Order: sequence, then C-alpha cells, then structure tokens
Amino acid sequence: MPKLILQFENRVLKEYPTGVMVTIGRLPDNMVIIDNPAVSSHHACVYGDGDQFVVEDLQSTNGTFVNEKRVSRHTLSDGDVVLVGKHQIVFDAMGTGEAVDAAAPEPVLSMGDTVYLNTAQHRALLAKLGEPDAKGRAVSKVGVLRVVSGRADRSEYSLDAHTSVVGAGDSCLVRLKGWFKPKAAVAIARKADGYVATLLGGTTLINGERLNGRSYLQDGDVLLISGLTLEFRLRD
Amino acid sequence: MRLRVGAATHIGRVRALNEDVYLVRAERGLFVVCDGVGGTPAGEVASRMAVDNVLDRLRAANGTRAASSVAGDAGEPRYLPQTISLVEAVRHSNRFIYKEAQKDPRHAEMGTTIVGACLEQHIASVVHVGDSRAYLWHNGRLEPLTRDHSLVEAQIHAGLLDRAESVHSAHQNILVRVLGREPDVDVEVSEVPVQPGDYLLLCSDGLTRMVPEAAMADAISRLRDPQRICDDLIDAANRNGGADNVTVVVVEVAGSWWRRLATFAGLWRGHASGGHDAEAHPAV
Repeated sequence: MPKLILQFENRVLKEYPTGVMVTIGRLPDNMVIIDNPAVSSHHACVYGDGDQFVVEDLQSTNGTFVNEKRVSRHTLSDGDVVLVGKHQIVFDAMGTGEAVDAAAPEPVLSMGDTVYLNTAQHRALLAKLGEPDAKGRAVSKVGVLRVVSGRADRSEYSLDAHTSVVGAGDSCLVRLKGWFKPKAAVAIARKADGYVATLLGGTTLINGERLNGRSYLQDGDVLLISGLTLEFRLRD
Repeated sequence: MRLRVGAATHIGRVRALNEDVYLVRAERGLFVVCDGVGGTPAGEVASRMAVDNVLDRLRAANGTRAASSVAGDAGEPRYLPQTISLVEAVRHSNRFIYKEAQKDPRHAEMGTTIVGACLEQHIASVVHVGDSRAYLWHNGRLEPLTRDHSLVEAQIHAGLLDRAESVHSAHQNILVRVLGREPDVDVEVSEVPVQPGDYLLLCSDGLTRMVPEAAMADAISRLRDPQRICDDLIDAANRNGGADNVTVVVVEVAGSWWRRLATFAGLWRGHASGGHDAEAHPAV
C-alpha cells in the first residue's frame, strides 16, 4: 500500500499508511500532526481517487506545495514531495519497507507524576527522531593567544579548553605578573560558533576599544589585558 | 567576588509533599536544586540524598583536585578543575542513589533531577540532569544555561514541536535522564563567565511550568534583591496554579566594596543594595 513519509530537514520523522483519508494539520484531531505555527489547524488532506491518490489543500494560510509548486489539488506520483510549512511529506507509491512510528513514545515507567524513559527507550526514540549527537560541538579551529609584548611565562597559549582565564590567579592559563593585577581579568570561552571574551576584572582593550561585557574574538584581534598585549589567532 | 544569595522552596497548591530540595553554600560558591521523582516517599529521599552526597563528595575531593584535572580525552576540550570535581560529585551521587534504590523495595523507583552551579573566580560551572534549570540574567536578558533532558526538548530539537507551543504538550513530564535510575549517568556541563551585576537562577520545573521566562526576567530587573526575587517568583507560581513543588535559588554576583560605595554615592550606574550578604543557609 502506498505510504506518506513525514520528513523535517531530510530526516524521516514518521510514516503513515494511505488506506483512509489522511488529514494533515496542527491540531491533534489530524492523522498527521505537525505542531508548528506555520501549519494551519487543518492544512491539507490526502485521499484515494480510483487507483490514484490526491493531495488537496484545505484553504491553508501558508499553502500546500508539491515539488515546490503551490497546489490546491494535485494527483500524486511516486516520489512527489508535498511541503506543509517546513515539513516535507514524500509520497511513496510502492510503500515498501517497514512502517515506523517515531512520534509515539514507547511504554514508559511511571514515576508518580513524572515519567522516566530509560536509556534504551531514550536511545531508540532519539534514533527515530534523528537527533544528532546531543553534545555541543566546540569550534574545530583552535584559538591561540600569542604574546606580543609584556611579561608572560610563555610566548603562546593554546585555547583548547572550554574556558581559559587570563589573570593573576593560580588557575589561570595566562598568568599576569606584577602588582595590582586582577586575579581574573578576562575569560575566553570556546563555543560552537567561536570564541567569546568576557571581562571579569581590570581593564581590557580589544583592538584599542574597551571591553565592557562580552565580545566575539576575530582572527587577528589584539587584546591589551592589564598591560599584557596578546594577539588572537585561529588555527586548523 | 562577592555573592548575595536568596533561596526558597514551597510545596505548591496541589502536592501533599515537597520533594524539592535546595542546597546553598555561599562560602564555597556552591548552589544546587534537586526535584525528586518516584512517588512518596522515594522522591523526597532521592533529592535529599543527591544534595547531601554532592556536598560530601566535594568536601572530600577538595584536596585531590589537581589529580582529577588531568583526566579527559585527548582532543576533547578540557574543563576547569572545579568543573570536573562537580561533575564527579554528581556522578558519584547517581551511583549512590542507584545502589540505595536496589537495597530497599520501597525506594526502587526513586530518582531525582539536579541542577548545580559552582562559582569560582567569576566562572560558573553549571551541571544538570533532568528538567531543573539554570538561567543567567545578564544585562536585562535571561539566558537559559541548560536544556531539559525531556521528551519535549528532544521533539523541539527534531523540529516536531515549536518551542512556543511546547508548553501545551501532553508530554511535559516525560524525562529522559534522571539521577539514580541507572548505574551511570551522562551529566551535562557548561562553563559560564559571570560579571558583577549578573544573576544566576536555579529552579525546579514547578517554576518554569507556571511562570513564563519573561516574568522571571522581569522579577529580577524589578526587585534586584535575591531573596525578594525568590519569594516573588514562588508567589507567582502559586498564583498561576502551583501545580508542583516550586524551588528557586538566586545568586547575585555583587561588585567589590568600592563599587558598592560608589553605588551608594550615586556615582556608579547601578542598583541600590539590600538583602543579606553571602551567608550560608542550612540545607532545607
């Protein structure tokens, strides 16, 4: 039997058989529920017409598209992509392969009011949802601070940790030397989208401008941190 | 770095028992909120065990910090020593609760969420498991520091659910990670630099399901005093239904003494002071 494959960003979320009228929309009374504001409450439907299948737009606000053309009624061929909001529904005329049910959680353990899915259940669910590795990915390029002038114990510091601190304190990566230096002057955080410097104490200039809150660092930025001049570089 | 701390917990208007527990050790810069699950009385037992165990473990680990900081995979970015100690303590408490649960059939299903923060030299190490949350209030904006280990959050991530609509989901209460249910647990970690004037907020889901984030941010902007913020947010949660136990810990990163003096003199563009200074609360 032909089936409909619901996808989001090229990940398969769920498959639906076409036997009866399949309604698509935001509200829970639809067969294909897409809980997204871009989708109308009753957005579209797919039904059999003789030996063919037809998708019909139910006067939705944002429209129903088949192969990137807006349609009000369209006879489906194998491989047609129906776009509803940002979700794609692929029409598979052959209907081969097992139907998988991704949205419904499998049997769960009750824990009073809060319910807990164990790791095996959770993994199975995540695999179906197509979640990529849940851990935040740090930037692939590694930043370094090169000492331009001032007193420091090294000529270069690699910013390979999640957080690197410049200051006079014991745990700092870059140790400031001399009197009246702040224990912690600047923290440099390594994030998925780059390196962020946050002022913690004392005075810091980035390219001559005073750092007050936070600032993303760009390759080649020059930092003047309480008398120590450092250049920020990104390396592969 | 000076901290001003407020904390409060309330049973709510529906539950018969408060299974939330908070721990405030301002002198160590340690703050924890746990929300027990598993039904009476197991949930209460698990959340209490978690905070006690984390504190014990951190006390014990204090001397051996240098050794643990060496651990970590090559190639993976390293965390600060205090972050590693905190993660180890949470993992340890997971094992402890798990073992205790095996011993006593009445506690077999017990578990707890945890969100903890350790502030040292202007870096907050934040750890969490479950749906208790941490936020940073910075320059008038409330930034989430944690992402719930819940089915709803996984659905949002997969594009199945819109964040704004997720509050209406029927699957709100399905957790995918808690302490004490399995022999080992993946603890989520982050390190967040904090500045004078920032506020760190830890809370149980009894707050976040009842009070929108905008109202939380507004309470901080309006009240400024940590204890008054906590009391106000608990009132708000109960006004909006109080469906669950609600717990809030608010930590203000206060400026140095000369900045406070300047504040009094009106020289510094800042807020008036008040409330109590870094003081150790008993673990309630």
